[in-house]
Amino acid sequence: MIRLAGKPQGDGSQFWSPFRQGVAQAAGLPSLVLMASLIGVGGLARDIGYPIWAGVLSTVLLWAGPAQVLLFGSLAAGASLPAIAIAVSLSSIRFFPMVVSILPLLRGPGVGTGKLLIGAHFVAVTAWTEGRRLLPGLPVEQRYPFFLGFSIMVMCAATFATGAGYFLIAALPAAFAAALLFTTPMFFTLSLVAGSRTPADWAALGLGFALAPLATALAGQDFDLLVVGLVGGTLAYGLHRIRGGR
Amino acid sequence: MLAELERASGGLWPYLVVIVIGFLPTEVWRIAGVLAGRNLDENSQVMVWVRMVATALVAGVVAKLLLSPSGALAVVPLWGRLGALGIGVAVYFAARRSVLAGLFCGEMVLIGVGLWSR
Repeated sequence: MIRLAGKPQGDGSQFWSPFRQGVAQAAGLPSLVLMASLIGVGGLARDIGYPIWAGVLSTVLLWAGPAQVLLFGSLAAGASLPAIAIAVSLSSIRFFPMVVSILPLLRGPGVGTGKLLIGAHFVAVTAWTEGRRLLPGLPVEQRYPFFLGFSIMVMCAATFATGAGYFLIAALPAAFAAALLFTTPMFFTLSLVAGSRTPADWAALGLGFALAPLATALAGQDFDLLVVGLVGGTLAYGLHRIRGGR
Repeated sequence: MLAELERASGGLWPYLVVIVIGFLPTEVWRIAGVLAGRNLDENSQVMVWVRMVATALVAGVVAKLLLSPSGALAVVPLWGRLGALGIGVAVYFAARRSVLAGLFCGEMVLIGVGLWSR
């Protein structure tokens, strides 16, 4: 560890002050958005008969809404486990470039590979976009604790929402329970729409949606999502190349 | 074989599934990102393809959740589910790209259809 001259190692405020700033930054809209995205996952977990802690654990460990929806949604549809694992992994490849591109912002004095692995676990859409927006404005030594504070706050909110969704789905009248399960497709459609910038993005979105029933009929419940992802994604990528995308 | 495993692991099976089928296939990419270290261009061709595949996958799972829902969502008829989704997206654009506004209005439409169609 690198000791900064004149600053004792045990000075907690070095860590906790930016950590608290991160918590405060996350406490508003970012937490609300993540709660909205994960409340339905709790309902999905209950829908397939899983215990509440399995749903909660999936938020803490996977920390990837789409992967959790793939996992529980595919289990509900009765897909085979190896096929689900591949689909989940395909949907999570995006974390690789996301982690690589945020690493330079997280590195600082005393932040080694071990701490970076912890930081990387929190990398998902929200922490990544907000991190890339906010971290460059902070002094280098404050970035890692700020990022941890931000990430842990949004994860706590999302974990609470997952557990709450699990109970609500059973306690609510039918129309409201349906609305709880509807949160997931509605939220992820909106976040895909919000993230679509190029015609190829729109093609991937539209093809994924349109190919799904076709793929289920042709490839069966086990492999339909893999077919949708690989065929739809590759077609959209082809469009990207035809339009001269770089 | 899986059925035997499921019986043998008893009540721990859902946790095993979450860890082995969910956590490991996801986390491996985050770990790889840290270990790769050097700056990889997120706009490279391979990464564009990765983004397209991930987008199509998530859109596919959304479609499956809406077209053949299990449990509570099935009480709302198909036209209600698709209509609520379409209105949610329309409100998102009308409200100057507000995800929360789109989500809220989509939900309201779905609840309305759910109450009316009972």
